[in-house]
Amino acid sequence: MTSLVEMTAITKEYRGVPAVKGVNFTVEAGEVHALLGENGAGKSTLTKMIAGVTSPSSGSLKIDGKEVSLRTPSEALAHGVAMVFQETSLVPSMTVAQNLYLGNEKYFNRLRGLTIAAQQFLQSLNFNVDPLAPVTNLGAAQKQMVEIARAVLQKARLIIFDEPTATLTPEEKRYFFALIRRLRQDGVAIVFISHAIEEALSIADRITILRDGELVVTDQTRAFDRDKIIQAMVGRTLSGALYQRHDNKVRPAGKKVLSVQNLSMGALVRNTSFTVYGGQVTGVFGLIGSGRTETAKIVAGILKRNFFHGGEVRLEDRPVTYRLPRHAVLDGVVYVTEDRKLEGFFDQMSIAQNLHLGRLAAKGPAVVSHAEMAGLAREWGAKLNIRSINADARVIELSGGNQQKVVIAKSLVQKPRLVIFDEPTRGVDVGAIAEIHQLIQSLADQGLAVLVISSYLPEILNLSDRILVARQGRIVEEFTPSEATEQKIMYAAVH
Amino acid sequence: MIGWVRDRIDSFRGRGVHAVTVPPMDGALRPNTRLEAAAVVARLPAPDNLVEHRGQVLFSSGPVVHVLDAGTGAVSAWRRFGADVSALCSEGGTLAIGLEDGGLILSDGADRAVKGIEGGITSIASGGAGRLIVCVGSARLAPSEWKRDLLQAGATGSVWTVSLGDGVARKVAGGLGWPNGAALAGERIVVAESWTHRLSQIGAAALVSDLPGYPCRLAAAPGGWWLSVFAPRNQLIELVLREKAYRQRMMREVDPAYWIAPSLSPATGFYDPMQGGAIRTHGIVKPWAPTRSYGLLVRLDAGFQPIASYHSRADGRFHGVTSALQRDGRVLVTSKGGNAILALEEVQP
Repeated sequence: MTSLVEMTAITKEYRGVPAVKGVNFTVEAGEVHALLGENGAGKSTLTKMIAGVTSPSSGSLKIDGKEVSLRTPSEALAHGVAMVFQETSLVPSMTVAQNLYLGNEKYFNRLRGLTIAAQQFLQSLNFNVDPLAPVTNLGAAQKQMVEIARAVLQKARLIIFDEPTATLTPEEKRYFFALIRRLRQDGVAIVFISHAIEEALSIADRITILRDGELVVTDQTRAFDRDKIIQAMVGRTLSGALYQRHDNKVRPAGKKVLSVQNLSMGALVRNTSFTVYGGQVTGVFGLIGSGRTETAKIVAGILKRNFFHGGEVRLEDRPVTYRLPRHAVLDGVVYVTEDRKLEGFFDQMSIAQNLHLGRLAAKGPAVVSHAEMAGLAREWGAKLNIRSINADARVIELSGGNQQKVVIAKSLVQKPRLVIFDEPTRGVDVGAIAEIHQLIQSLADQGLAVLVISSYLPEILNLSDRILVARQGRIVEEFTPSEATEQKIMYAAVH
Repeated sequence: MIGWVRDRIDSFRGRGVHAVTVPPMDGALRPNTRLEAAAVVARLPAPDNLVEHRGQVLFSSGPVVHVLDAGTGAVSAWRRFGADVSALCSEGGTLAIGLEDGGLILSDGADRAVKGIEGGITSIASGGAGRLIVCVGSARLAPSEWKRDLLQAGATGSVWTVSLGDGVARKVAGGLGWPNGAALAGERIVVAESWTHRLSQIGAAALVSDLPGYPCRLAAAPGGWWLSVFAPRNQLIELVLREKAYRQRMMREVDPAYWIAPSLSPATGFYDPMQGGAIRTHGIVKPWAPTRSYGLLVRLDAGFQPIASYHSRADGRFHGVTSALQRDGRVLVTSKGGNAILALEEVQP
């Protein structure tokens, strides 16, 4: 039987450095194929060649047994291949309905008809998204849902999802997996790239694992378990211990660094109060919409609290109000964003330039020193093990894990006393997760106050010396690591 | 001028000193029910001022100083005074008794009255080397009128030292917001200022500020201190404290029992302002109306930083904690609002 997609000895090189090396990869009609690997393993590059985003340097690509050369995504779509990217490709100023039908408009369009069709289609997918809402008003999860809906709408025979569930709530994930199963029944093939190993094990028919651009293994899902997958991905045994507390030691609280008191911002942050101490990791868990990110952004001067009686942020017992994030940086408060691509770095600049910009934010206007810039890149590249093709590589060329390390380094060069990590390991591979966790722990060991916001319970349980739970715009519960369990935290987060 | 304009803007926006905010009880101050679960050693009205004097545990209740047998809980009257006892301290075999009417008596077989202290005494602590540290809450009001002083934004409190040898009193600090507890840490005098919610050092920076309650007496503990917090802060009272005209009218027209002010005990009458409404969350009754009374004892380390706490929550019985005494591995605690003396058996850390 002919495979839907067949790649043979496919290689892709950037500036002579191979991102994918001689990989053989097939996708059968009606199968769910999980593509796993560390960041930088070549997963995205491989799938982008199938979707016509980039062309292979060598090797052959066959669709329905016929050799093809895809130069654009629309050529791929003509062959029935659609890809849903991590980075949203929606037009922010248009409504959801307009985005869904973008490129498929008729000569004369009735906006009402478009909206009704979009409403029906979204409902058929169980996606709770308003077709009249401008995309710019949507959260990350809802944008992802629109992206998925658009791919399904285009009636593709193969849909490639790049990290589809990273921004979805557990309930949305359930709908998403139900949708995948329905598409599979309809004969649509699915390739999905994910870092969530459990997802791959539960939904995929076959699993392919890449490492350093090379194929490690392709097999039926039943031949894998979690440990086997991790070992294949990283070439070393990390096991399930990655998210287990290595010791039961809890750091004692140091000096009170941050005290948030009765902070309010619209309906998102509602009279919330909590304290963060030096020399400790304070973890904040909450579901999407619990106001964690907004609270952190108010503390860091990115968002503004209510104009009237918006509460108080006290840094070492001194009330502070920041008009700009830079003022917070000057006070030693840094925020490592959850959306690194949009807010974390300048993607066309080099690692060194990004780090130097971070330093400039703390230092103020100064003469740009190229020697200092190179020194920063060397120092922090070594400290955080940032792997790149060369020192001048643009950040956009780095893998997700290395991009995240650049974002973290860009904040740490500012010599903070309070570091806020918002989803520090979202879209990051298991190898980099361990490194980032180690870094967070070492910052607390150095006496810094560390606030970690995460939607991933094992991460919160592994990292935190204190665990706070946010619900509906306020902190509702506090646990010590010894008494906290996933069930207790989730119960507090939803009740 | 610029300062005045900024103050007006802050008042308009509820910012800076006009922010109606209260620090959270979290971290070391995280609520629990350990005080509520403590053993009741004795029950009698408004116990206060636990001290150890010549091997005996003494405490006051109204104008009477009692002896407590901490083992059996037996209480016997030791001595009655002409006014309510507001402070007690034992130093070098001498018992110092502060009275509601402003008197300070040194009792070491014979009684000597100390002259020269202006105001009602709220707390007395050992100052080492034959010296006492005396806290005066207000130059104008008696200790029992603490609510009025708070609502008048009083800042006429002072700290004195008294030499046991000659009974001479010397003022060491003034203009304080109801000093209500003191301790000698090394060479420095540490004072608990109730209305500014802090522990400050005379002549130096505050050690702990922005406490979520009104601190009072400090007692020695192995490697640290016990801090009694007699009432909680809440946003309603913070708001009232920023509304001068409202406070003045309330004090003028309303019975003091129904003032919107901190309280030592939960009231039971339906006239009581905004207390008692609650919802059950995670099996614990949580107030939706701000509670005006609470039970809180805080364990401090040697640097006066909170490391653990013992609570009787909004729905509890043992509110208004005013003094503590660590003895024989237990901590005795007076719940003035709960009319009880409690014993904490397993003290942390």
